Order: sequence, then C-alpha cells, then structure tokens
Amino acid sequence: MNFSEYVVSRWDTLSLAAAEHVLAVAIAIGVAALVGIGTGLLVHETPKARNASLALSATILTVPSLALLTLLIPLTGLGWGSTLIALTAYALLPIIRNTVTGLNGVDATTVEAGRGMGMSRARVLMKVQLPLAWPLILTGVRVSTQMIIGIAAIAAYVDGPGLGTQIFEGLSRLGSVNALNATLAGTLGIVVIAVLFDLFFYAVRQLTVPRGLRVRH
Amino acid sequence: MFDTETEGARIELRALTKHYPGQPAPAVDNVDLDIPAGELVVFVGPSGCGKTTTMKMINRLVEPTSGEIRIGGKDVLSLQPDELRRHIGYAIQQVGLFPHLTIGQNIGLVPKLLGWPAARIAARVEELLSLVNLEPSLFHDRYPRQLSGGQQQRVGVARALAADPPVMLMDEPFGATDPITREHLQKEFVRLQKRLRKTIIFVTHDFEEAIKLGDRIVVLRERSHIAQYDTPAEILARPADDYVAGFVGQDATLKRLALLRVEDVAPAGPPQQAGLPQVAAGTSLREALDVMIAHGSDRCSSPSGVLTYTALCGAVGTGRPSSPGREPEAVPSLPAPEKVVAGGR
Repeated sequence: MNFSEYVVSRWDTLSLAAAEHVLAVAIAIGVAALVGIGTGLLVHETPKARNASLALSATILTVPSLALLTLLIPLTGLGWGSTLIALTAYALLPIIRNTVTGLNGVDATTVEAGRGMGMSRARVLMKVQLPLAWPLILTGVRVSTQMIIGIAAIAAYVDGPGLGTQIFEGLSRLGSVNALNATLAGTLGIVVIAVLFDLFFYAVRQLTVPRGLRVRH
Repeated sequence: MFDTETEGARIELRALTKHYPGQPAPAVDNVDLDIPAGELVVFVGPSGCGKTTTMKMINRLVEPTSGEIRIGGKDVLSLQPDELRRHIGYAIQQVGLFPHLTIGQNIGLVPKLLGWPAARIAARVEELLSLVNLEPSLFHDRYPRQLSGGQQQRVGVARALAADPPVMLMDEPFGATDPITREHLQKEFVRLQKRLRKTIIFVTHDFEEAIKLGDRIVVLRERSHIAQYDTPAEILARPADDYVAGFVGQDATLKRLALLRVEDVAPAGPPQQAGLPQVAAGTSLREALDVMIAHGSDRCSSPSGVLTYTALCGAVGTGRPSSPGREPEAVPSLPAPEKVVAGGR
C-alpha cells in the first residue's frame, strides 16, 4: 500500500486524531492566552512580580516535555488532562513575555497624555496600552501555538490525544507494513495543522489589529 | 467644576513645593504665583529648572509635597485627580495622540469621558478641526500616523481644547516642529487665544517664543525660583538681574521693537507719503527698521503716518539715536501691567 492509499484507508482514524490534535492545541492556547495576557496585565508594572512570573514560565519551558508529561501522570493521570496542562504551561512564556514587553513598550508620552486628559490608570491600560501592544501579544500567542503543536505529538506517550500516536506507533515498528506510512501521515498532518493555525492567526491579526496601527503615510 | 466653565479662571500657587524622596534639594521650592484669569503666562527657564514639574502639579500629574493650588478659587488638591484633569486642557511636545484612534476620536476623547452625547461630541470635533485649520471632512477619519508633525501638533491643541476647559497647560506644544511650521503655529495660536481668552500656562525654554506668545513671562531659575514675573516689554526693558538679562540676550532692544507696531507709534503726519518706503500699519517696528535700513532711509511711510528713526528710538525709550543703551523709559504704547504677586522666595 502506498502513502495515499494508506491515508484513504485510515481516513477515519487519521481525521479523528487530527481533530483531537487541533482541539487539544486550541484549548491549551485559549487558556494560556487568557492566563498569560491576564498575568501580563497584572504584573507589567511591578518589577518583582514581573520577573517572578517570567522566571517561572521560563523554568517550565526548560523541563523536557517528556519529563513533564511523565511527572504529571501521578497528578492528572493519562490522556487529556495531563496533555492539556502540559501544553498550557509551555504556551505561557511567550505570551506573558510579549504582553509585558508590549504594554511597557507603549510610548511613555502616550500614556502621560491619556493620564493628563483624565483617563484613569485602568482605562489607559485597557483602552490605550492593550490595543497598542496587541500586535506583539498576538505574535506571542502565535509563537506559542506553533511550539505546542509540536509538543502535542509527544503527548501520545501519556496516551494523549492527537497525531503523535501515528508517529510513535510507526516508529516503534519501523520496517513492518505501513510503519513508514503511519509516521509520515502523523508528521505531515502536524505540518498541515501548523499551517492552518498560522493562517488562522493571520486572519485574526487582520481583523483585530486597529487600523490606525496598520496605515502608512 | 470651576466657577467659570469656559472663560479663563484665575490660578493661584501658594508655597508650592515638590521634594522627590532621596533628592538633596526640592525640584520645586516654595513657589508663590498668581496667574490672572484669561492670560497666557509663559514659564521660561533652562531645562531641569523645574518649570515642567511646576506645571504638572497644577493638574496633579505630579503630586505636590506641600503647598496650595487654587483654580478659580477652588482647592485643586481636594478634587479627584482624574475628574480634575478632564477640566484642564493638556498639550505636550510629543503630542501623544493615540495612534489606534482616528483624529476625530482623539479629539472627542475628553468629551466622551465627560459623558457628552454623541451628537454633541461630533459637532464639537467638527468645530475644533475648523478652529485649528484642518478641513474636517479630510481629517476626521484619518489616523495620527497619516499626519505631518505640524498637523499632529494642531490636533494636540484641538484635543486640549475639546471640552472647552477654562485652564490649559501646554508643555512646548510646538517644540517638535520645524522653525517655519512653528512660527506659523505660534501665529495661529496667538489669534486663537485672543478669541478664547483661556488661562494658559505655557512652558518653553525658548525665550523668543515666550516673548511672542506671553501676556506675561515667568523667568525661572533652578528649583523653580522666580527670577522675574512681568510683561515681555517690561522684562526686555528692565531685566531684574544678570540672570534674566542673560536670558534676554544681546538684542533686547530689537526684541522690544518686535513687540510694537507702526500704528502704535507713527506720529501724526500725512499718511502714505510717496517717495518713501511703504509699510503696513500692523508691521512691527523691527520689520519697519529693517525696511528703513534696506532702503538707506531714516523714515518710512505707513497708512497711519510717517515713522522716523527718531520716533522709533523714542518708542523704546532710547532717546537720541546717538546715545544707544538701555534707558529705563516706559514703553509709551503698552498699558502698564497691573501689579501681580510675583515671588518665589
């Protein structure tokens, strides 16, 4: 059986695995975006809290994904739970970092102008700094997404959802029938998912970045 | 908020002090100052002298360490800071327009904070764009990044005027433009202020700008100590000390000539004499002198009479042309300033 015949014959399994892969990444990135942007908004002005949250999320990122997933088994068991927690944790750093950088990068005179006109601290943050930092924050979310699409494949080791199962099963019986096809199908599926997510974020960027930030002279 | 809602309100500073923690000396030390309603008062001094800090204490972007501020008799320090700032126009050198909002939204921001109905905001934005000479239909929906520096500065002034505040604070609002644009904006602004009569505190380090714009000038030295507080003509004619004289510079007499116009001094005589260089009645004496020198003549003619070199010297109190120098002669055509509290310590 060649590759295309393999894909057609296993379409049900493959499409389900791909859908699960997308779902796991989408949930994790959604939670990470909420938590990460929220954290960034809260800590960006307080050096101690800012450094602590950045250090913590950076530390998580240094733990190998396989090790983190294994460590989570006693706490959250096999499958979805551990997968989602690990993916969310990995996604946090780029989001928090870009949120903090974006909010602090807003021109101080713009912030002062807002305060000088009688906008409260919170209003300046939400109505001025957040929209101006948004392109950078969105980039952070995009980078995180690309990263955890790959990590999600490793979740197959803890019986997690997604295309990782195809890859690892194939690799473990390399040389036997359809082993290479399974590995290829899993890998290419992940590439396709990565491209689709990137297109999605391109569209989000076009729709949500304020027009005033995109215009040229 | 203040007794007078749109026309200027009087500003009083009493023993105003700002001492930043960890600094050996206060940044602003015990300033007493009265700014009459409807006047444009320029704070001028070298950078770091505390002029901006003094100004920012008035809208409480900087909280005073001690002292009192009253606007229209109201104690500013007892008011809620955000609410206070919505009633004080604020324009800064970097303009600080919000790049993600249209020009219309930028100008309408304070009225929106004050809860004006949408229709009133829209009408006000149109009015202000016209006021600062930007065609509303062209500029309303543009974004700040699509505007030139000079246009942005105009929008900055319009935004500060949006809610028709009685008091405006302006920190080198024309500082970031090229000299030609700046002069143009200054002229427009003088015309505008003649109409609006706001109480304006205008901070600059440019003494020329202070002379052009100010009804009065406060010359500040370090820690915001007041070296002299008077009308431009008085400061030019009688600088209080060497420090102020240094600020005035070498060409004080020429600067004073620039403050007077031909129609203020031209003596009686047949107007529009043929054969003499002609100047308009509204020309400054400095420009008239320039015309005379250019034509090698000691007189020029204007619709209000013939201006002679002697009359020109008399106007700045230098008597005979053969005895130059700074003589303490009153400038005849300017009304003497009313006495105002000027102190510092």
